[in-house]
Amino acid sequence: MTDLSFTRSALVALTLASTTAMPALADKASGTLNVAFTKELENVDSYFNSSREGVVMQRAVWDGLIYRDPKTNEYIGNLATSWEWIDDTTLELKLREGVTFHNGEPFNADDVVYTVNYVAKEENGVKTQRNVNWMKSAEKVDDYTVRILLKDKFPAAIEFLSGPVSMYPNEYYAEAGPSGMGLKPVGTGPYKVTDVVPGQHFVLEKNENYHDSPKGQPEIDKIDIRTIPDVNTQMAELFSGSLDLIWQVPADQAEKLAEMGQFTVANESTMRVGYLQMDSAGRSGEDNPFTNAKVREAVNYAINREELVEALLQGSSQVINTPCFPSQFGCVQDVTTYDYNPEKAKELLTEAGYPDGFSTPFYAYRDRQYAEAISSYLNAVGIDTDFKMLQYSALRELNMKGEVPLSFQTWGSYSINDASAMVSQFFKHGSLDSTRDDEVLEWLDVADSSTNPDERIENYTKALKKITKEAYWAPMFSYNTNYVFTGGVSYTPTADEVLRFVDMSWN
Amino acid sequence: MTDSTDPLYQEIQGPSPRQMLKLRAFGHKGLLFGMGVVGLLVLIAILAPVLAPHDPYAQSLMNRMVPPVFMGGTWEHPLGTDHLGRDYLSRLIYGARVSLLIGAVAALISGVIGTAMGVAAGYFGGKVDAVVTFLINVRLAMPVVLVALAVVAILGGSLTVVVCVLGLLLWDRFAVVMRASTLQVSRRDYVAAAQVIGASTPRILLTEIMPNIFNNLIVVITLEMAHAILLEAALSFLGLGVQPPTPSWGLMVSEGKNMMLFEPWLVLIPGAVLFVLVLAINLMGDGLRDVTAPEGRS
Repeated sequence: MTDLSFTRSALVALTLASTTAMPALADKASGTLNVAFTKELENVDSYFNSSREGVVMQRAVWDGLIYRDPKTNEYIGNLATSWEWIDDTTLELKLREGVTFHNGEPFNADDVVYTVNYVAKEENGVKTQRNVNWMKSAEKVDDYTVRILLKDKFPAAIEFLSGPVSMYPNEYYAEAGPSGMGLKPVGTGPYKVTDVVPGQHFVLEKNENYHDSPKGQPEIDKIDIRTIPDVNTQMAELFSGSLDLIWQVPADQAEKLAEMGQFTVANESTMRVGYLQMDSAGRSGEDNPFTNAKVREAVNYAINREELVEALLQGSSQVINTPCFPSQFGCVQDVTTYDYNPEKAKELLTEAGYPDGFSTPFYAYRDRQYAEAISSYLNAVGIDTDFKMLQYSALRELNMKGEVPLSFQTWGSYSINDASAMVSQFFKHGSLDSTRDDEVLEWLDVADSSTNPDERIENYTKALKKITKEAYWAPMFSYNTNYVFTGGVSYTPTADEVLRFVDMSWN
Repeated sequence: MTDSTDPLYQEIQGPSPRQMLKLRAFGHKGLLFGMGVVGLLVLIAILAPVLAPHDPYAQSLMNRMVPPVFMGGTWEHPLGTDHLGRDYLSRLIYGARVSLLIGAVAALISGVIGTAMGVAAGYFGGKVDAVVTFLINVRLAMPVVLVALAVVAILGGSLTVVVCVLGLLLWDRFAVVMRASTLQVSRRDYVAAAQVIGASTPRILLTEIMPNIFNNLIVVITLEMAHAILLEAALSFLGLGVQPPTPSWGLMVSEGKNMMLFEPWLVLIPGAVLFVLVLAINLMGDGLRDVTAPEGRS
């Protein structure tokens, strides 16, 4: 094959070029695992960044009170050993004894009280308020018993405590604050941070005194994480051996890397769902075509979800019919679905009074390739798209002002396995709600705050059924992520888009 | 130049100026190559609907990134398909329209603005000249790419916006060159003679000055056209120029960029075509200058 030999020679050239620049070869002998991050992490302090890379660091450096096993989804105590609901808004936890932070500070109830009180206070400016604003405060009962007080009933509390809410050392944090914590992070986690050079790299070293945590014990001595924005550079470094593991590799490249045979390519599903948001509430103009249910149905019929998943997203992505990810609690799948049927889409457009279609602005902020494919489906049934690619923050702002008639959006639910993390985020008349259906709001209010699982399911079902029947959105697919690593590394990725260094070892 | 139009002179010299021009033109390899390539691309752009084997917008996700024929592909898609399974050759052919259109219209707009300013400054001098020189300096102080990026980012990318922005930014060279040429020409005796016989200012500008600075204008037009084409490609590459699904060569390079390591032809093909077009336009401009004003040749 001619193209293969061409590729080989290109690779050799690249390899030569990059080895001269990057002498640090990593393998089992040196004990250092070299990893690349695509995006720069603004602040290692996990409460003051909102990126995926931040979640990865958070899971390595800090611990939560509770741990959710990523395979069984079972909640296990981590820094807490047991917990109990005193009433609907009071949770009492017994803490693990004998745990110390990386700086030697012992872990006890004071740390929990300080951390919770600090992050729950809105003025302190935690980046993702939703992660912490359900907590009111914490109280110390004795040295190893605390109570967390909630503002209101919040059934997903345990899920949040096992996810984004990690425990900080009170004395150190009081002194260092978020910026000090960002430069010299101190936690109880399996890895301690020994070096932070913003924009360049982070060095993690094994925590030899890691407590008997459900996360397991760290095996790899040292992890060097570098920020390399370009995927081609990442691959070149992988070939030259100066990187051992890259992730979030686009499907096409991952496929080629797998064909080369010298790397392990692991693909895992993520909770991120890609969908089309339509302005059914008419916020971008009363006469906006998407206020007509037939038009929204037509959009749903116009998109070939199977083809998108099979050809573009590939891997373990799946077709999604609901405004939430199927594994999430309450995300029932017994809803109205729309198959690919461009003829029907055209008919519906004609019935809606657009026999020749119409023209609409179409916004997107990521995955241009997917957005282009989607707009091409819409063009095929007569919906002419004026494609606009914006930065996430710019599109979010426009969207909050209600000036977006049609957009390609995605939502990762912060890996929270509960439908409230997605459907309730967008259908409760907030500034990002393009639907404003009162009935849906009522059901979701009940579903979100009830502590009775059956009642929650019942109300989510009602809400999801109405949302899909009215075709408020066009949910399309879930994302997947590719992890590529050298043969020397042993790792099984999990379905929640979190890279767990503690689960990695040398072969 | 004026000497050669003298009938007596012509008789002695033999071939007429027109014949001389032809002789020089056909002996100039760069000009022939440049004109040939540009002519061919213009023809391709005009005949795009006839020539393109497929609809450049027809997506076929099951047929993505088919390699071109010389890398193991089939004649169904001679240059392969892109990341959405669209025929690469057809997109390249339609892309020629975008590039040439942007190049031509942007050069035209900036040519009109720059020439008007330059000729006015050179002919009237004094305060007019001072104002124009000031404007040129202001314009030269602004980096083109940066201003274009900012404006396109604010107004949103589209073919019209890109053409207008480039047209309104690239007039500086026209103004500078036209001003200098006009200054030179307007001191000639035939201009003085026209003024003496009472010809009106517009008449002098149009019939005495313009024809004599036209060579320079053509050279600047070709330079700026090539410049505009490259800038459009750069803007589109950055995602701020022509918006998808419109085929643009810059956009094609950008879309192929992520696959560069494994499918280098996705970048090489549009890159090479862009290179050839810009080279051809520059060669054509150089050649035209050499042929029409041989005395300026070093």
